[in-house]
Amino acid sequence: MITKDISQSVVKKDHVDKVAGQLPYISDVKMEDMLYGVLFRSPIAYGKVLSIQYPTLPEGYHVIGAEHIPGGNFVKILVPDQPIFANEWVNYIGEPIFMLVGKELKVLYQLLDEVEVEFEEHEATYTLDDAIGKMTDVMATHEFGESLQSIEKIEQEAYQIIEEEYETGYQEHVYLEPQGMLGIYQEDKIQVQGSMQCLYYIKNALISALACDDDEVRVIQSPTGGGFGGKEDFPSMMACHVAIAAQVVKKPVMLLFDRSEDLVVTTKRHPSKIKYKTALDKEGNILSMSTEVFLDGGANTGLSPVVLQRALLNSAGVYKIPHYHAKGYVLKTNTVPNGAFRGFGAPQSFAGIESHMGHLARIAGKDPLEYKRRYLVKQGDPTITNGRFRDPVFMEDMIEDLLETMKYRETKEEFTRFNQQSPRYKKGIGTSLFLHGCGFTGSGERDHIKATVKLLKTKEDKVLVKISNSDMGQGIFTTLSKIVAQELNVPYEEILFPYPDTKDVPDSGPTVASRTTMIVGKLLERAARRLKEQWQSGAEQEIVEHYVHEEMIPWDEKTFSGDAYPAYSWGVNMVEVEVDSLTGNVQLGEIHASFDIGKAIDERIVKGQIDGGMAQGLAYGFMEKMTSKQGKIQQRSITDYGPPTSMDIVHIESKLYDNPYAGGPYGAKGVGELTLIGGAPAVQSAIEDALAVSFYQIPITPEVIIESLEKREGEAVDKI
Amino acid sequence: MVTKTVDSYHFDKLEETIAKLNEEDCTIIAGGTDVMVLHKSRRGVAPKIAGPVVFIDHLSELKQTYLAEGNLHIGACCTYGEMLEHSLIPSVFKKAIREVAAPAIRNRGTIGGNICNASPAGDMLPLLYIFNAKLVLRSFLGDRIVEIHDFIQGPRRIARQQNELLVEVILPDVVDEESTYLVFEKIANRQADAISKVSFAGLLQVKDGKVADARFAFGAVGPTMVRSLEIEKKLLAKGYPLRAEVLEEVVADFSSVINPIDDQRSTAYYRETVALKLLRYFLTSKELS
Repeated sequence: MITKDISQSVVKKDHVDKVAGQLPYISDVKMEDMLYGVLFRSPIAYGKVLSIQYPTLPEGYHVIGAEHIPGGNFVKILVPDQPIFANEWVNYIGEPIFMLVGKELKVLYQLLDEVEVEFEEHEATYTLDDAIGKMTDVMATHEFGESLQSIEKIEQEAYQIIEEEYETGYQEHVYLEPQGMLGIYQEDKIQVQGSMQCLYYIKNALISALACDDDEVRVIQSPTGGGFGGKEDFPSMMACHVAIAAQVVKKPVMLLFDRSEDLVVTTKRHPSKIKYKTALDKEGNILSMSTEVFLDGGANTGLSPVVLQRALLNSAGVYKIPHYHAKGYVLKTNTVPNGAFRGFGAPQSFAGIESHMGHLARIAGKDPLEYKRRYLVKQGDPTITNGRFRDPVFMEDMIEDLLETMKYRETKEEFTRFNQQSPRYKKGIGTSLFLHGCGFTGSGERDHIKATVKLLKTKEDKVLVKISNSDMGQGIFTTLSKIVAQELNVPYEEILFPYPDTKDVPDSGPTVASRTTMIVGKLLERAARRLKEQWQSGAEQEIVEHYVHEEMIPWDEKTFSGDAYPAYSWGVNMVEVEVDSLTGNVQLGEIHASFDIGKAIDERIVKGQIDGGMAQGLAYGFMEKMTSKQGKIQQRSITDYGPPTSMDIVHIESKLYDNPYAGGPYGAKGVGELTLIGGAPAVQSAIEDALAVSFYQIPITPEVIIESLEKREGEAVDKI
Repeated sequence: MVTKTVDSYHFDKLEETIAKLNEEDCTIIAGGTDVMVLHKSRRGVAPKIAGPVVFIDHLSELKQTYLAEGNLHIGACCTYGEMLEHSLIPSVFKKAIREVAAPAIRNRGTIGGNICNASPAGDMLPLLYIFNAKLVLRSFLGDRIVEIHDFIQGPRRIARQQNELLVEVILPDVVDEESTYLVFEKIANRQADAISKVSFAGLLQVKDGKVADARFAFGAVGPTMVRSLEIEKKLLAKGYPLRAEVLEEVVADFSSVINPIDDQRSTAYYRETVALKLLRYFLTSKELS
């Protein structure tokens, strides 16, 4: 099929296999002589391993531990502080100490029960608040903006200073397919297959762990049932486990998590605490603002420093705040490590700043949306890092349009009347305004990623896409094929895009940071254009394209100045809720969302990103609740964690704005992360509107609502 | 390693099933929606069920629903899905059923299973308590009828003898839903596939401005459903709308009989606060006819 406009939806390339249930995921793979691995995990949060008593192993069963690692005992990410097998110190409950490998899972579980490990327990840091109290284990810190001295001066002359503390909780990815990895030993070489987002992250981790050459390891992506960032950093550790084991036993070794293991030991979204100090004049206008962000890194660094960067870069939201200062820290706790998650630090920041701006509006006696609009950035405005919003900003149009569609004012009046008459149910409406910087921060694409893509044309004139990016359900098999097909003027079905294998794809970078369509798609567009120019029927041809950096205001990672991102996607969410004041339950009403993602490469795929991202973002604001008690994750099942079902999510009315970005294919910018970011702040704003109560945390669970309402009632009684 | 298989029985007739129960202590599986979860192993390994299993969900004798002498009899193996379709099932039960899990579970799970699982959060239990449900337990010796509150003794503890099978649930003197104010509320973290944080069933009849009947039961605020006949009695013959002192006394009394806990799903504070709010709302929200 050749579509006139690339946005026109087509059938996804993997649609039939997925709908028919025919697509084999990694847990469906069975190989001859394949062994299973099970991990012995630390039962304590912090301490030293004194001794390990292994049970007597039956024939064909093995212990794989730190002593088997040919290279360094760390998972190569940013900082070498994450052991592959923690054989000396353990830093969190669930940390792998060794792996038992053998044929029967039943036997392996029994053996696991018979292991005896003696620990010397040390005093652990269990919560972010504990870590903030101590400030001893700072994993990363950044600071930028106007000097604190000049802000202090403004504060001294201000009419009032508003200080707020905001908290966000864990979020779990709940990808449909739990993590799984298979290590295969073949003639002195190691092959790893599994559910993953970043093939070359894994390959690099394997080269480090196995201390081997580039051509001795090979990573192949299996069909991947959702990632959301959860399969960005975490799979590297599992890959090391199965690769080391496969190398020792010289047989395939499979490591699969069931849901409860996955929920308890894999990375989560960083819980955060954000402090705001804002100076206001008499009318409630903002004179200055300083923000402090604290992220709970968990037990090892992982990607946390980069998450903190994005959290800080988004800390002022979509607003032009005069005299802004930001500082942030990642702190270590003895809890499950936190990692990448759709939005990557931005959802915390947006929830915080949208909440704070809403509260400032109340102080100024204004409608939150009206107040926020006064500070909205426009084209040409500086960013908080002295970069520029160079491209057109359509936020005002998007807001105006939604106000009309939702009949904002009338709806508000109607809700006020309803709330006066209804003792039990209270209705509210809330808005969130947000953006997302597309691609890696600053010069990351140029200095760290250096993406390369390849198009291969066979003698039969078939075109193959050779890149290292994963289709994890977000649809790049289809969208990237469409881009190539459009350039070549052939039906997209004819473009071949096999699951990537590092043996024959170059490193086009990880499948993260809303970069795949915009960055990798652009490279493919250019490659396809060149291929068309050089097309020789019947000849094998190979076209390679490398990332070319578009010079902007140069980014300085040390001072946090310059253009942090090449382009921004934008969004406005408006959400209605009905709150049951007896139980604190929240029911979503109408939901409207508008997005500027440059240009949709496939409208239905984008709609899928919108519906899924918003469900995940809304639920982050009021439903999904994960807690850690003495270092132990409490929710071991999906039911207890409570992600939304189709009964909880309502129809999402969404609209796209064309605002083509020259640096993206056909003008496309990033979409994946953007759609999640506005959900939580919009739902908070709506709940606050319904109950006329301010909240300082997400998720705003029924427990939080009831506590606030009871407190308010108590205060009302006190006043009498 | 030898894998021991579990004996399982699947008799055509109820009598054969009852006879087998007299011989052997069996794990009884109706829909299996609780048993399979309870005995679940880690991934890749079959559930661990000790002893033989007897399947009963196919027995037509256990799937009958009928009225007899004003009492509603519901077969223990009626699934939620079947009850939802049946004209004799009171609509307040149907409301509760629609909030049980999701359609797949509702097609397997049975009313008898929900009772015998005896979860503090059992979805059918608050209503069964206020409807004064009686349970028919059959053994080779014959039938024995037990009140539901005597049968359920604690979390997963029931007064079933090894040789007995719950065959029928009887709702005596089914109330007229038209003239009775009936309420069921399930409070959970989401609208499907969820376990109650608090559940509530209430029944109120007002005649000539006076309370003629008042019953209420809560789930998930104690080891079993919490219902107090003593507290309910205090409401009888009281003028409706209730005077503030009467209402306050009942709510205060009730707060002393519930004993909720903190767990991974909610807090004791929330459960208690919401239970009392629901009770207060229930006792004041019936519109006077």
